[in-house]
Amino acid sequence: MLFNSIDFAIFLPVVFILYWFIFQKNIKLQNLFIVIASYFFYGWWDWRFLSLIVFSTLVDFTIGNLLRREEVIAKRKLFLWISIVINLGFLGFFKYYNFFVDSFVDAFTFFGKTLEVGSLNIILPVGISFYTFQTLSYTIDVYKKQLEPTKDLIAFSAFVCFFPQLVAGPIERAINLLPQIQNKRSFQKTQAIEGLKLMLWGFFKKLVIADSLSPIVSDIFSNTHSYSSTTLIIGAVFFAFQIYGDFSGYSDIAIGTSKLFGIELMSNFKFPYFARNIGEFWRKWHISLSTWFRDYLYIPLGGSQGTTSKSIRNIFIIFVVSGFWHGANWTFVIWGLFHAILFLPSFITKTNRKFTGEINVLGNFKSLIFDSLRILQTFVLVSIGWVFFRSESIQNALDYLKRMFFNFSSEQYSHPNGYRMIDYFIIVLIFVVYEYIIRNDERNPFPFKNRYVRFLIYLLMLFSIILFFDDGVDRSFIYFQF
Amino acid sequence: MIQILKKLVLYGFLMLVALELLVRIFHLHNERPERLADDKNVEKWMPNQTGSSVTGNRKQNVGKYNINTFGFNSVYENYSPTAYSKEIALVGDSFFEGFHEDYTNSLGQQIENKLEAITVLEFGYAGYDLADELHLINAYSELFKNIDHSFIFLKFASDLDRDMYEPSFRLDLDSPLRRMVKQVKLLVYLNDIGALNSLTQLPQRVLNFLSGKEAASISLKEKTALLEESISDEQKFENFKKLVQRYPIDKNKATFVLNTYITSPQILWYLKENGYQFLDLSKAWKGPKPETLIYDQHWSKKDRALVANLIVDYLQKNTID
Repeated sequence: MLFNSIDFAIFLPVVFILYWFIFQKNIKLQNLFIVIASYFFYGWWDWRFLSLIVFSTLVDFTIGNLLRREEVIAKRKLFLWISIVINLGFLGFFKYYNFFVDSFVDAFTFFGKTLEVGSLNIILPVGISFYTFQTLSYTIDVYKKQLEPTKDLIAFSAFVCFFPQLVAGPIERAINLLPQIQNKRSFQKTQAIEGLKLMLWGFFKKLVIADSLSPIVSDIFSNTHSYSSTTLIIGAVFFAFQIYGDFSGYSDIAIGTSKLFGIELMSNFKFPYFARNIGEFWRKWHISLSTWFRDYLYIPLGGSQGTTSKSIRNIFIIFVVSGFWHGANWTFVIWGLFHAILFLPSFITKTNRKFTGEINVLGNFKSLIFDSLRILQTFVLVSIGWVFFRSESIQNALDYLKRMFFNFSSEQYSHPNGYRMIDYFIIVLIFVVYEYIIRNDERNPFPFKNRYVRFLIYLLMLFSIILFFDDGVDRSFIYFQF
Repeated sequence: MIQILKKLVLYGFLMLVALELLVRIFHLHNERPERLADDKNVEKWMPNQTGSSVTGNRKQNVGKYNINTFGFNSVYENYSPTAYSKEIALVGDSFFEGFHEDYTNSLGQQIENKLEAITVLEFGYAGYDLADELHLINAYSELFKNIDHSFIFLKFASDLDRDMYEPSFRLDLDSPLRRMVKQVKLLVYLNDIGALNSLTQLPQRVLNFLSGKEAASISLKEKTALLEESISDEQKFENFKKLVQRYPIDKNKATFVLNTYITSPQILWYLKENGYQFLDLSKAWKGPKPETLIYDQHWSKKDRALVANLIVDYLQKNTID
């Protein structure tokens, strides 16, 4: 079920009312209701893949409880590996099987041998990368004795399948989410209002920014050869905003929806396009995934504690794996590699943590010049990286970049459907300015004290959602495919 | 909890009122005239209506219309052709009706401005197919007798789905309830931009889900296209033959306006064999496809002018008595 669908608009109030009015008295019943509602939410897309979630839940619940009783390190390791193999096995099969088969065949062809291995028509279960990482984090935390395994199967199931974040995150840690599910929740008016505000902001980002830029980006990336540098720059920049609007919009709706149910999820985005270097960008972009890789891959590999060469190796591993997590395509690997290369200079010069404080470009003249240039430089580099992310193949990405840098002409872009481009430039500009105004708190997109000003902004957001509504656009979220 | 629900309802209501006001202030909504079936059972617009036709989310196409006493969009308040003056008629659907431009710059007006002493009477009505068009000419044969020449628009893809005229479902669109709903401009606007489609399709999707079928993911536009494709070219050809037999037209005083790229070769052959005149639209825009409006399938301003030129050329080359 998509957040931006009429189905969800009906589903949410029904679940909300039942959750607080019928099931509030008994926490077990309330959790059971979360599980049923979440399975319905997921099954609305394809009920057959529910079995995967159920299986994954049972495996990690069982292993968690086996780890509770087991003190022998070898056996504990064995249990952990069983969980890792099963979880990553499913993920590998559904997400990467065809990729590995095709790459294997290509490699043989390259060396002059032909190999006939058929690829399978596999449907990628929505959200598998997200809930797999979530359950894995639970087992790893239990293995490391950082978390007491739960004996409550219903609560654990609710932790795995909690519908607001089931299909595209934020990838929650059991340490944060499980206690909230196990403990009695009470309805908090302030929390619910914050949730509704975040949802509105998320819908704005998704429907106005991401969805309206989507057809323009699609056209430019599908017809790279017909366009000049200026148009391709527009394509790359618009895609940067499209993917940000899409994914951060989804995250905000997810966090906002959770708040309605009395549950706080972690923040996933903190205005990443105001980052002053790549290090800061990665502390602000898809935080739940980057911290997951930091805690469960980078640090176990040694992080930055060993020699410089080992640290650099670890950086490359984490970025490449993170790229590969996004999809079974070499373009994602190159995207990860590209970011590793961008990150490296600041890591070597130990300036990757230089910018951790508040962003205030307008604070003084020096920051107006230098911070603006740093922000612009980071954005340009990130946007170049997005070309790999968005392209169908590495060759397409390279063609795109080549034309983007070397094919200047005076040609003006016009979309085949005649979209008025000025509308989109204006809305992106307004979006950037507004994001700058609210940049200090990603959980509060309407920090205005005057209630009339707030009402006016809600109204304008709703109005622009209508003004930019496009019946023909594919409204699914980009990150669903990951 | 109750307090927050009450607040939500209040805020929701205020938002709707404010949105309704914004839609009215910026005139984002389309004003569709009322319809009727007249005493000759011809479907047309209710006489003497004026308004603005608006399409696109952000008013991408706006045109003023003026429905005359005869029930069509025109600068002329009534149609009274005579034997001693020269008149031509444009009979067709929304492409000829031209709600996308001001009625003062309609296709008919563009033709008229380029020719001397010819009056162009426009009989365009959104949704007309060939059965509607021929029935109109037949029902008003006395009037058309005095018109020197008629141009009949024929869109092969959608104009030949039936072989005889019957009043259409469009008339049901003007029920008292719908007229009341039309007063809420926000609803009209949301409906026109397709924002209510998912709501109206919901019951069918629930039924599909319950019966284990895939949820209906195709849009209404795609559904219509599928329906059009389901009627074979053969059947359309048969319908065409029956229609011209059932509602005969004077071959010397009428010309079909069609696009030869998308019209079945059988029909083109039939027209030639039986002495019907036709005018090829693709010659106007020198290709198979016209340029369309933004968010709209109708001819762009430029291509509309090209069609006018095509008809003017045709009239100049073929002397009309």
